[in-house]
Amino acid sequence: MLDGLLLLLLFQFLGEMLVTLTGLPIPGPVAGMVLLLIALTARSNVLQRIAPAANLLISNLVLLFFPIGVGIVLEWERYEAYGLALFMSVVVGTIIAMILVALLLKWLLRHNVA
Amino acid sequence: MSALIHTPLFGLLLTIGAYRFAIWLYQRSNQFPLLHPFLVAMVPVISILMLLDISYQEYMQQTQLLQFLLGPATVALAWPLFRQLTHIKAIGPHILIAVVIGGTLAAVIAVALAWWLGAPDAVLGSLAPKSITTPIALELVKFTDGYGPLAAGAVAITGIVGVLVAPLIFRLLRITDDRIRGLTLGIIAHAIGTSRAFEFSERAGAFSSLALGLTGLFTALALPLAWSWVWG
Repeated sequence: MLDGLLLLLLFQFLGEMLVTLTGLPIPGPVAGMVLLLIALTARSNVLQRIAPAANLLISNLVLLFFPIGVGIVLEWERYEAYGLALFMSVVVGTIIAMILVALLLKWLLRHNVA
Repeated sequence: MSALIHTPLFGLLLTIGAYRFAIWLYQRSNQFPLLHPFLVAMVPVISILMLLDISYQEYMQQTQLLQFLLGPATVALAWPLFRQLTHIKAIGPHILIAVVIGGTLAAVIAVALAWWLGAPDAVLGSLAPKSITTPIALELVKFTDGYGPLAAGAVAITGIVGVLVAPLIFRLLRITDDRIRGLTLGIIAHAIGTSRAFEFSERAGAFSSLALGLTGLFTALALPLAWSWVWG
């Protein structure tokens, strides 16, 4: 667990460094994720030590972003005026996008039998 | 005594306690989407914050530890993605095409609908990353000048809506291929969709995990550039 946490913090730091040095318009932790992915393909036997820490964090993602999400209720007056736009975007938009993606995949895989 | 409620200890105890209860209820209900822990844990936390008159800003400070861990959690997403990479070899180019077009569609439709209904730029910026996993979405709103809470809520509700309508959409479009079910759920409904995909089958779950990782990665790389290009 400790090794995993150490590696995750190290790769996040490397990602932040890469973004600072190059000025790439991507978040530091995402750069860290890409660097870790590349490193994993090269040295998976060493780096699979991240598994316990990675699985713990990923299986509890809801806990990590929950405090931020509370703001949507506690600061609702800030968003109230756009209630209809939010509903259409999040509910109707999701349904439309899901239908289109399912159709796209059905077409893409039409000759590729499962 | 009342000083105690103004400590990180109190905020973390409240949050983790409410979350633990919400997880328990979610499991007991056989993962009924409308009882998702994100929604259920809100009830006790918000009631107690309002009862004790703790502001949102203070609560955010109390729970800084959890928010900090979103960074390492984002890096950690490389692990499941790495483990699913073998699936790419089977139908590789098709998955990549679907992720690029699907990820773009999800963002464009969300932003276009809200824009058409008069939402301001900051709201549009909060909605653009709504189909990708929350830790990445919360990083991206820094680039699109969106609101964190709105983005977190939009992501969670997108996942819940996706899970609710997916079985119906698959039936109407006569989709029985578990690869398509998994990929669709992963592209549109991120981690919440992926846990539903595992209920279809192990195979659907694996494809959903892959799509979730690739869509998050693609959107993280493309959205900041696209945003500065369109709005810059």
